[in-house]
Amino acid sequence: MSITDSVYLLIFGSGLLGGFGHCSGMCGPVVAAYTLGLGLGSGDVKTYAPAQALYHAGRITTYGILGGIMGMTGSFAGVVESIERFQNMTLAVVGMLMIVLGLAATGWFSLLKGRASRKIAPVVSGFVSRVVRFIAATHTRGSLYVMGIATGFIPCGLLYTAYIAAAGTGAKAGRPVEGFLSGMFMLVLFGLGTVPALFLIGHLTARKGAWIRKRMSMVASLFMTAVGAIFIYRAFQG
Amino acid sequence: MRTIPISTLMLCVMLSSASATTAKSAACDVSREACVALTDHAIVSLDISPKPVRAMKELFFSVTVKGARIRGPLLLMLFMPGMYMGRNEVELKQAPDGSFTGRGIIPRCPTGKNLWQADIAIPDHGSVSYRFYVNY
Repeated sequence: MSITDSVYLLIFGSGLLGGFGHCSGMCGPVVAAYTLGLGLGSGDVKTYAPAQALYHAGRITTYGILGGIMGMTGSFAGVVESIERFQNMTLAVVGMLMIVLGLAATGWFSLLKGRASRKIAPVVSGFVSRVVRFIAATHTRGSLYVMGIATGFIPCGLLYTAYIAAAGTGAKAGRPVEGFLSGMFMLVLFGLGTVPALFLIGHLTARKGAWIRKRMSMVASLFMTAVGAIFIYRAFQG
Repeated sequence: MRTIPISTLMLCVMLSSASATTAKSAACDVSREACVALTDHAIVSLDISPKPVRAMKELFFSVTVKGARIRGPLLLMLFMPGMYMGRNEVELKQAPDGSFTGRGIIPRCPTGKNLWQADIAIPDHGSVSYRFYVNY
C-alpha cells in the first residue's frame, strides 16, 4: 500500500472535488450553524481555527473507523444496514439541536414566555434556554471533537461512494488487517479532501458571524431552523 | 445515442433494412428491462439485476457488445446527473460466453433524488449511456 497508488489519489481528489461541489451544499449548513450557534463567529482565527480543526478531526475519525470496518469485511451494504438506524437517529438529534439553536436565536421563546400560557411557556422556554446553556457550556475542545464524531455518522451519498470504494479495495486485500488499514486510510484521505471546502465555509461564517447576527439575525436563525427541520424529515424518511 | 428495449430493436431489424442507429422507440428503462444503446459500429446491451434496481443493495451488471471485438475488461461508471457523488466504477470482466459482468452498488442520496446514469466506454468505439431511476 503506497500513497502514490492511484486509488488513494483518486479518493483524496474525490473528497476535494466533492467538498466544494457536494459537501458545501449538504454539510455546509451544519458547519455554518454550529459556527454561529456555538459562538465561534468572533472573527478571531485563534478561536475558530482550532475549533474547526477538532470538529473535522472528529468527523474524519468516524469516517476512518467505518472505512476500516468496510475494508475489513469487504462489505458496504451489510455495514450500512447495521448502522442505518443510528445514522438516522444522529441526523434527527443534529436537526433538533439546530432547530433549538435557531429558534432560541430568534428570541421567539422569550416572546412566548411573556404572552402565552403561563403554565406551558415557561416550561418550554426554560427547557430551550437550558439546552442552549448546555451547548454553550460544553463549548470545549473535547466536545467539538465529539460533535465531529457524531456528525460523521450523518448519511451522505458522496461518503457512501467512498465507503463502496473502501469495501471494494478491502475485498481484494489478502488479510482482514490489510483490508482494515487500506479502508481506513482511504476514508481518512477522503475526509481530509473535504476539509478545505468546509473549513472555508466555517471561516467565512466565523468572519462574518458578527455581521450576520447584527444585520440578518432573523434570516440566519430561520435558515438554521429550516435546515434542522430538513434533517429531521430526512431522518424519518430514511 | 439513445437506449431502446431489445425486443423493439429486434423488431426494427426484422421489419426494416434501415441501420440500427435509425431505430425509433420509446426510451428504455434499464431499471426494469435490459436495454441496448448504439455507438459507432457497436450495439451495447446492459442488464442490471435484481429488478427493480434498488439503492444500497449489491447489483449485478451484465453487458454484451455486438459489432466490436473487445479485449480486456470494460469500465462502467455510475453517477448522478447534476450532483457530484464521487467516482463509482464497476469493473466488468469478460465471462466465457463473451459478455462482461461485474458487481456494484448505487448509493442512496439523502435528498431523495434517484435519477442515475451508467456510462460504459467501449474502446475505439466511443461510449454509451443509460439513464434510469433507482428505487430507494
